Amino acid sequence: MSIKDLLDMALRNLLKRKLRTFLTILGVVIGTTSIVVMVSIGLGMNQTFANQLSEWGSLQVIDVYSQNSNMYWGGNDEESTFEGEAPKLDDAAIAEFKLMDSVEAVSPVVDMYLKMQFDKYVADASIRGIEPAAMEALGFKVEQGRYLNGEDGKAIVLGADVMFYDPKLSWEMVYSTEPPEVYPLDETVEVSYDWNLGTRDADKSIKSTKFEVVGITPSGGMDGWSVYMPIAEAKKIQEAQLEWQEEMWGSSSSSSQKDKEYDRVMVKVDNMDDVRVIQQSIKDMGFRASSLTDQLDAMNETTKMLRVVLGAIGAISLVVAAIGITNTMVMAIYERTREIGIMKVIGASLRDIKLLFLTEAAFIGFGGGILGALFSLIMSKIINYFAMSQGGGGFSSYIPVWLYVGSIGFATVIGILSGYLPAQRAMKLSALSAIKTE
Amino acid sequence: MAKSIIRLRNVRKIYKMGSETIPAVGGVDLRIRQGEVCCLFGKSGSGKSTLLNLLAGLEKPTSGEIIFNKKHIERMSEDHLASFRQQYVGFVFQSYNLLPTLTALENVTLPLIFKNVPIEERKQRAMKMLKAVGLEDRAHHKPQEMSGGQQQRVSIARAFINNPQVVFADEPTGNLDTKTTYEMMDLITGLAKENNQTLVIVTHDMELADYADRIVVLSDGKIESITERTTQEEK
Repeated sequence: MSIKDLLDMALRNLLKRKLRTFLTILGVVIGTTSIVVMVSIGLGMNQTFANQLSEWGSLQVIDVYSQNSNMYWGGNDEESTFEGEAPKLDDAAIAEFKLMDSVEAVSPVVDMYLKMQFDKYVADASIRGIEPAAMEALGFKVEQGRYLNGEDGKAIVLGADVMFYDPKLSWEMVYSTEPPEVYPLDETVEVSYDWNLGTRDADKSIKSTKFEVVGITPSGGMDGWSVYMPIAEAKKIQEAQLEWQEEMWGSSSSSSQKDKEYDRVMVKVDNMDDVRVIQQSIKDMGFRASSLTDQLDAMNETTKMLRVVLGAIGAISLVVAAIGITNTMVMAIYERTREIGIMKVIGASLRDIKLLFLTEAAFIGFGGGILGALFSLIMSKIINYFAMSQGGGGFSSYIPVWLYVGSIGFATVIGILSGYLPAQRAMKLSALSAIKTE
Repeated sequence: MAKSIIRLRNVRKIYKMGSETIPAVGGVDLRIRQGEVCCLFGKSGSGKSTLLNLLAGLEKPTSGEIIFNKKHIERMSEDHLASFRQQYVGFVFQSYNLLPTLTALENVTLPLIFKNVPIEERKQRAMKMLKAVGLEDRAHHKPQEMSGGQQQRVSIARAFINNPQVVFADEPTGNLDTKTTYEMMDLITGLAKENNQTLVIVTHDMELADYADRIVVLSDGKIESITERTTQEEK
């Protein structure tokens, strides 16, 4: 029997009993929909996490610290089994990172806390000295103006949430009055390590540096509180500050600065999939490394159980649907006993009979799968609509293409499996006794 | 003497009904000759239908040998039997046994579908066969839209479409009136003789025996007599 004849005959047999076929398919539709929707809610949850995390920076960026850095905050450190002398996080190490596959950009980071003055107002600024050309690649965001670029010298990108205030006011006054309207884009600000900048106590011996504000970050997240400047300028200020400190207190500068070791280096990987691999190889080199992917993994791990439970709830209804298919096919055999017998007598092979019943069951599964996928799409839209109208709150439904394809395939396989027992039974019917059934 | 196409050697069939055993066929030796019309005649319960089922491989004997074209069909597996029936055997039943949801044409085509004959060829062959039984204008009717005689013609067309070596007919006219019975017998024996096909008919109707080359009379599962009819008279 050719495949075309088989499909044709199976379809005709199903259409002969429209209501029953419809009801059986409906069961599969409900089963498929419940699985897809449940899984989609789990996936939606993961996506919401990823979105929330990406507000804190790019998921493709790895922060690298040296072993003795006190800035490291990357959670549990069980993998850090590096023994022997800790390697230096210096320019040589950066060059090495740049040579790794899938690494798109590398930038050392100099973190400093400085004062900033604009007009008569000042601000406490968390400065990040970075490779200006790599700013965009590293996942920082700019809302107005532009990113730092390789030609920039004394230019900064200002965090939208950096708060300017009048230094002549007392703290109580600062907090009780409306913050001043300050909008220094394309203007010049002064940056200094003098904490009395802008007041009467300002140290005249400290020279502040003038920077042009070329861009402003969006509000919110860590970026909003930071001020970005080219690392070369940041280093100059840092060195000047150290010299000044030595003069003031005669303390010898901390060795790390002299050794040109960086506190932190950011490594941007060009795709999500390689983040873990790169992170591990950096760890293997003897550094400490953390990325937001760690947080994402941790979050996904916590919700894994929930997703399994959701999937299982969906699976139960598909099991019920599978029993429905088996039941329908067994009933079809009782009804068609005679027909099966006739076909056997006039030359249908056992394989033909078996395939015919399996095909019918597969059709039910396939049809139910397709309708179920469509129905899931609608349900998903409805869920997202209500989730949005209630403010998002982390509850959403997300159906990737593989879930559609997978669910249709899965429903078809369920159909075939449910049809197996009845098909076997049809095959074993004795031709003679089947014909005698009146 | 023409060579034999089926040989039975000491064939027995015993049914078990609970603790009771019912011997349906008890030790039959018989040769069916190539190209003959052989009539298995007997009262109900004489074992004639069981014998036909054994000859056609629809049932397995309890003991004995059934050799069809040098092949032992009593030893064949279900799958073998299916392809054996497909190749060599056609059936006509008392109750027609057409598939009610298929048209006359589709019913006739069915054996060719299982044989994987291409769609155009099988339509042509089925149409030709329907013409031969005089039903070409009913090709697209379903069985319930046809008379008993017409339905039996469809089933005869189906039995002959595969060019079988042997056609088995189990009380083919049992549900038909006298006039139709003669038409049907003329048709079926005519078709068989045309291609030198063997026809085995089971009946309890003496009138049909007139069409036979040989009449095998059965009683209580045993052969009572075999009558040879040298010339076949035209009705």
